[in-house]
Amino acid sequence: MEPATEFEEEKIVDMEKFDSTWTIARKKFIKNKIAMISLCLLLFIIAFSFLGPFILTDDITRIHTDKSNLEPSSEHWFGTDRNGRDMFLRTIHGGKVSLTIGIVSMFAVTIIGSTIGAIAGYFGGMMDNLIMRFTDFVLTIPFTVFIIVLNTILLGYERVTGMWSLIIVFSLLGWGSVARIVRSKILSEKENEYVLAAKSIGTKSSKIISRHLIPNVMTIIIVQATLLLALYIVAEAGLSFIGVGVPPDTPSWGNMLMEARQTDVLKNKPWIWVPPAVCITLTILSINFVGEGLKDAFDPKTTK
Amino acid sequence: MITYSLRRIVSMLPILILVSVVVFFLAKMMPGDPFTGEIDPNNTKPEYIEEMREKLGYNDPIPTQYARWIGNFVQGDFGKSTKYKKPAIEVIKDKLPNTIFLAVCALIITYLLAFSLGMYAGRKPHTIGDHAIGIFNYGGLAIPQYIVAIVAIYFFAFKLGWLPSSGSIKPGLEHGTWEFWSSRFYHVILPAFTLGLLSTASYTQFLRNDIIQNSRMDYVRSARARGTSESSIYNKHILRNSIIPLITFFGFDLATLISGAIITETIFTYPGIGMLFIDSITSRDYPIIMSLTMIFSLLTLLGNLVADILYGIVDPRIRY
Repeated sequence: MEPATEFEEEKIVDMEKFDSTWTIARKKFIKNKIAMISLCLLLFIIAFSFLGPFILTDDITRIHTDKSNLEPSSEHWFGTDRNGRDMFLRTIHGGKVSLTIGIVSMFAVTIIGSTIGAIAGYFGGMMDNLIMRFTDFVLTIPFTVFIIVLNTILLGYERVTGMWSLIIVFSLLGWGSVARIVRSKILSEKENEYVLAAKSIGTKSSKIISRHLIPNVMTIIIVQATLLLALYIVAEAGLSFIGVGVPPDTPSWGNMLMEARQTDVLKNKPWIWVPPAVCITLTILSINFVGEGLKDAFDPKTTK
Repeated sequence: MITYSLRRIVSMLPILILVSVVVFFLAKMMPGDPFTGEIDPNNTKPEYIEEMREKLGYNDPIPTQYARWIGNFVQGDFGKSTKYKKPAIEVIKDKLPNTIFLAVCALIITYLLAFSLGMYAGRKPHTIGDHAIGIFNYGGLAIPQYIVAIVAIYFFAFKLGWLPSSGSIKPGLEHGTWEFWSSRFYHVILPAFTLGLLSTASYTQFLRNDIIQNSRMDYVRSARARGTSESSIYNKHILRNSIIPLITFFGFDLATLISGAIITETIFTYPGIGMLFIDSITSRDYPIIMSLTMIFSLLTLLGNLVADILYGIVDPRIRY
């Protein structure tokens, strides 16, 4: 009995030396100072925007004509806008809307794109050809133009609110790039023997894709998703800023920035447009740093 | 090469037709009747509206309507703008030169900045200058264009008063005079810079990395061994190779410029087709929305075509 246990113990010790992809990535990511600081900042912004509205329950839509255009003070930290609404509260509520649009669109686009890409890559042949021609079509049409047109149509029917309309439009038009990347990765991944093994014991195609292939291309999907999150937050704010995104009655960072299109506000009342501008910039910067950190962390070639 | 270009153009046709079908159905889906531009809005008698609808063919089957619309579009008849009460093509023709002017200026700024910054950073990598350019690039990639535009207006137009914040020209100037052109340039500087900076960062980064990669090549070492001066190595030997991929970016730039122009023109109230597009969206001017959507799609497709063809011309390794 003695030698056997010794042997097993040795084996366990040996196995502990090998970290999984995720552990290696986590260790690399934690060592990356800029990425960690950005991640903390990002989590802070997200927590603040989503928990804030529960704590600061003051009505943000009510108009106080006596308090309009106040400069920042101890009572109103960021001052007030034209209608006397507190800018600090509006920044938090706006963040909730902007971040919800970004995060939900990111998940929707990633799921739609990976599914389509995985199906095209796994089955190949006619299916692949058909799907990829359609993907090419979605990728060649000008993104901004069609988003504006589709969003106007959806808003015109008044069935969906501004936030969800944008999310639907982003998800409908945004999946092309993810689908293309996932497809190309699945194409090379499916040549591996573990896929053949799974097939030979009669595993269903859907299971092979979801259990075996997707986890192996997950790292690429995650990196792509962070880029998409930044893209959609920028797009939401940009569209709302030029007046074709979220309708002005819902505060979002883009809508608040829209105030800066009035010369008087831009020139003399910077406290109205600086907070959303700073929030957008900080969020995008930190998302980009986190994305870069994740890319390095998942890259087996980097040793840091 | 020519057969490839022709084949490429022919393969564009199905996508174009698909785009036109999508645009047509989007217009059909729009709330309200998108084709009512010809009907007098003051006459609300149901019989009159019904009669006009019949006359203008809105009661025809959908495929017939589509065929008529696309037939007219190809012949340059874009319908009548509901807001301006003129043919849509004339409205677009009025604004198009402004956008082209803005786009050309933006492109020049992009290329000038990207070349000087990229070549400097590529020649002296890992120095303070290179790091500064790297930080600038990072900011350029991460900070949204409209925020750059707002801050630029705030500082250069309002705080310093150097440049105008809106419009494309001072009103009341005679066409073709020196004042006319200088005023146009004066008004285009800020929008062109914000639009041009959009792609500068990625170009600079690309050029820098490409120059660094090329400078390790054997042909550079042999040029050095022959005693070629350092500046001639960088400006002639390396640059010629590094320009190749950059040229193909030009095609894709068209797409970036379109979406950029929509936002930039709206911020600076610069009267081009980008602002016209947003204006017609808010005023529900369907003939203009449809024509501009078609034009933008056409331009994007053309851009991709140009990129593909240029790639074949500048890189002889690619054979079709």
